[in-house]
Amino acid sequence: MPPTDIFTLEVLRDYLLIGAALFALGILGFLSRRNLIVMFLSAEMMLQGVALTLVGFGRYHGNWTGQILTIMILTVAACEASIALALIVILYNRRSSLDVTLWQDIREAGVPATPASLITEEAEPVDAAPGPESYPHLTPAGVEPAHPVEPWIERRS
Amino acid sequence: MDVIFQFIGSVLGMTGTYAVLLGGLGTYLLLPHRHGAIRPRAAHGAGLIAVAVGLLIYMTYWRPPGLFLPAVFLYIFGAPSLIGAVLTITSRDPVASALWFASVVLSTAGLFLLAEAPFLAAGTIIVYAGAVIVTFLFVIMLAQMEGKADYDRAARSPGWATLTSFIILWCLLATIATLKTGETIGTGIHHLARNRMEPEKQLLRSRDLDAYIGSPDATMTSVVRRAVSPMSQIANLRPAEGEAAANPDAPSVMVHRPNVAGIAASMYTDHLASVAIAGALLFVALVGAVAITNPRMPVRPSSSDPAQSAAIGSIRP
Amino acid sequence: MELAYEPGFFVRNAWLIPFFPLLGALVTAIGARRLRGAAHLPVWAGIGLAFLVSLGTLASADHSAKYTVFEWLSAGNLEVPFQVRVDGLSTMMLSMVTFVSGLVAIFAAGYMHGDPSYPRFFALIGLFVTSMTGLVLSNNYLLTYVFWEGVGACSYLLIGFWYSRPSAAAAAMKAFLVNRVGDFGFAIAIFWLWSVSPGHDLSYDSIFAAAESGAIPTSAIAGISLLLFWGATAKSAQIPLYTWLPDAMEGPTPVSALIHAATMVTAGVYLLARSMPMVAMAPGVQALIAATGCATALLAAAIALTQNDLKRVMAYSTVSQLGYMFMALGSGVGDVAQLAVVAAMFHLFTHAFFKALLFLASGSVMHAMGDVIDMRRFRGLRHRLPITYLTFAVGALALAAFPPLSGFFSKDEVLGAISGAIHASESYSWVYQIVYWTALVTAFMTAFYTGRAFFMTFHGPEKLPSPNDPEAPPADAHAHAHAHDEGHHHEIGHESPPIMAIPLMILAGCTVLIGLICLVAWPITGGPAEWFAGHLEKTLGFEALGHGEHGFSWFTATLGTLLGVGGIALAYVMYAEPGPLPARMKERFGALYRASLNKFYVDEFYDATIVATVRISASISDFVDTYVVDRLITGIALIPRAIGRARLALYQNGLIQFYAASSALCVAFLLLFLVLLGLQRP
Repeated sequence: MPPTDIFTLEVLRDYLLIGAALFALGILGFLSRRNLIVMFLSAEMMLQGVALTLVGFGRYHGNWTGQILTIMILTVAACEASIALALIVILYNRRSSLDVTLWQDIREAGVPATPASLITEEAEPVDAAPGPESYPHLTPAGVEPAHPVEPWIERRS
Repeated sequence: MDVIFQFIGSVLGMTGTYAVLLGGLGTYLLLPHRHGAIRPRAAHGAGLIAVAVGLLIYMTYWRPPGLFLPAVFLYIFGAPSLIGAVLTITSRDPVASALWFASVVLSTAGLFLLAEAPFLAAGTIIVYAGAVIVTFLFVIMLAQMEGKADYDRAARSPGWATLTSFIILWCLLATIATLKTGETIGTGIHHLARNRMEPEKQLLRSRDLDAYIGSPDATMTSVVRRAVSPMSQIANLRPAEGEAAANPDAPSVMVHRPNVAGIAASMYTDHLASVAIAGALLFVALVGAVAITNPRMPVRPSSSDPAQSAAIGSIRP
Repeated sequence: MELAYEPGFFVRNAWLIPFFPLLGALVTAIGARRLRGAAHLPVWAGIGLAFLVSLGTLASADHSAKYTVFEWLSAGNLEVPFQVRVDGLSTMMLSMVTFVSGLVAIFAAGYMHGDPSYPRFFALIGLFVTSMTGLVLSNNYLLTYVFWEGVGACSYLLIGFWYSRPSAAAAAMKAFLVNRVGDFGFAIAIFWLWSVSPGHDLSYDSIFAAAESGAIPTSAIAGISLLLFWGATAKSAQIPLYTWLPDAMEGPTPVSALIHAATMVTAGVYLLARSMPMVAMAPGVQALIAATGCATALLAAAIALTQNDLKRVMAYSTVSQLGYMFMALGSGVGDVAQLAVVAAMFHLFTHAFFKALLFLASGSVMHAMGDVIDMRRFRGLRHRLPITYLTFAVGALALAAFPPLSGFFSKDEVLGAISGAIHASESYSWVYQIVYWTALVTAFMTAFYTGRAFFMTFHGPEKLPSPNDPEAPPADAHAHAHAHDEGHHHEIGHESPPIMAIPLMILAGCTVLIGLICLVAWPITGGPAEWFAGHLEKTLGFEALGHGEHGFSWFTATLGTLLGVGGIALAYVMYAEPGPLPARMKERFGALYRASLNKFYVDEFYDATIVATVRISASISDFVDTYVVDRLITGIALIPRAIGRARLALYQNGLIQFYAASSALCVAFLLLFLVLLGLQRP
């Protein structure tokens, strides 16, 4: 009589479904978002989906290999993150922007560059909050703050 | 023609198809881009509703374990992870994206716990939520001080990207959904596929090999065991204490090994080479990151004046 | 199984004969920078050792002496071992080749002194000797062909040694191309042999045995013999492929001596002599060979009558003497077959010595005259160049068949063979009749032009070349001085150094010595060349050739001697002292003189017919290649280029996300396809 195990094939399938969804959403983010950082977050999300799948399989089969492979994924992800962030900092210093569209120098010679404005036209309008912008007024360090008579009135302006 | 109709019938007969369709539509609406005449708020609202409904349908495929607590926790961790994933990729603010991603990681860690991988859960939280996300936030703060940039409000060809990723999701779903045991669920493609594939026989637990293939001594069994099952196992099958001598037919119990000890044993026996390679990889990445972020201005061969290159270097590091 | 045969020491080690010069050449080539002026030493040593081994093999020569050194080629049913054959013919050739080559190499060390490419010259000489000895040693037509080509390649490299001179480059290319024409015939002969020989065995013994037993059809024997003769005409400079040989003097003089005397031109004669057991079965081909040799001898002698270039006279005399050898080979019919081969090889043997002597002596004159070789620009050198004068005289007398020098006996043997063939041949007797009388006429002409060259060079009032000479072509002196420009300038009109003079004296001594041996051996063995024939009889297949009775023909000998003396006497009258006679003759026979001086316009004829045809077809091919094939290909290449420029290049827009999205979409559709396919299958 085979022993009972609560981690049945149905439970494994749950893990696989969640992993697949994470993976697909990661692809979507990587393909559609133009912010370099969000692109890398999406890539990490794909890795999370795969890690989930691996852990589920490892648990189902009753061995450690899935977890070991997940640890390897963690390692690679950490390496990737460090290199990617270093690159992002460098790229930001060059162009003062995180837009991946600005980097299209590897295109075929003679092909016109895709202008950034074309994409900007598709941008969603800023959903501006009603009313004037307001910022918190911080006290300069090392100076004794003024003592207003009616502080709540000043702050509202 | 019949074949095509059969296809369409099979595809439409799968509830997952509607989940994918709704999820795709909702995600498309949520992605940052101009929605034509529709006001952004309306589009976002419709998108959120579509995603929520799609997710609910998707969750109908889940079969939680029989016990109450694990079943509840599956939903508690599974649903937020997917919601967090959708919000990660649709947030306009990269800071929000990073935080939503942190929620995804936390939920995943919970799922790891459910799968009896506590060490990995802790490790994921520490590495991802603790280190990687914080580093991301640092970079975001460093790089993006002004408000929402143009490029965060304009996704690149969102329609095509959504189509691509949700086709992949549908394919994965259709494949995974046919993995089923026991009672039938639904109609349509499932029974066709199950009759053909008998997936439960393909996904065999390695510890059941003996029972499935034959006696433990058979050559075939030992070869397959060597291939499928590593040296260290999560749990060993042993007759219950004291009952072995009295009753050979008594049900055996699973004796679990401690998690960290088991991982360590497997890592340093079955996967020793991988560990070494991963260590080397980490070291190389460290060196690379340091080398990239401390750029020295290259002295171009054409510029004869070192002072000039130094000046250029000081202006543009 | 063959008869049990235990190869002797020299048979087992005969492969060393080609190996030593090869080793010397390699050492010279590799150590060229280090050796520099001593580059001749390894090659000397190599050829010297090869000569010693060759002398050893002389004693071991036997009909069936052969030894397989290693398995060389094994493809399908074609087995070609590297097998050496040590019989009378090959040992004679080996000794002669290594001896003469060694002397030429010694001479060359003096002659080529100071040349910038000194090591290259000796490396090539070593390689040349390797090829020639290998050719002679091999026991297989295919292996012979390999070395045959090696000889051709080395001759190309040596004739074009001063490749910066356009005339040398052209001469080298001419030699190579003309030889290719002949090699083509040889190659086809080998293919044919392969197809008819039992077991596809190309070794000499099996082929001759098959030819003798009638396994090879008579028509095939005739055809193969004809093709072999075709191959031999190119290497041994016979009509119609002789034109490369006179031009080959563009190489350094030692090379000319080597090519003309010892190595290259003897290859064709050797090939026919080697194949004689088979060729002798085709009397028609034999008659053709004799007729061709006769025509070549006459034509070359007629050209040599009027040439002003000393080396060119010698070159044409070589062609003429080779004609004699072919006459003798062609006389190998019926009873006199063996006699004819012996006569041809004996003439080849003696000719190698006195022609090498004459060429080296000419080189000595040229060396002394500052690379001037035109006989009109110097005279009366007998007091300034006494050694050269004497040795040249010996060689010239031998060439003119003056008794009792070696040339006399060998030419007599040749004439005796032809006269024997007149009686032995059944249906081609008239051919041999004509050949016999033409050969006598040619003997007279040979004596005359030899005497002319000798007297014009060494007799009469002394005159040294000077740039003011009206005969001097304007750029001549500079062009020929090229080789000796390298910081080494010598006075005009001095005798050559000992390193050049000693080989001359040795060769002259040999020429005299062979004659003396003939004289001494005559009463003992019953014939002047019986000692030579006795050695040559120990050759594969020769024992089966007809042994005709051969008596010394006093009639032929007397006639030949009288004609030779007459020719020399006429030359003495005309050229010993400057007189009006040559000019008068020139006027009287103006048309003939000009035709002879211009080599009977054979080169011009070839240019107008063959070369022009080839050139025209080459231009047509070039036109087709440039304007049809190339255009077609570039045109086809334009189509994808245009498509790429217009459509596909736009997708290379540099946007990483676009790339990722494209590949992901494709993966998605592939996945979809697979899933649907899986659903569809029952």
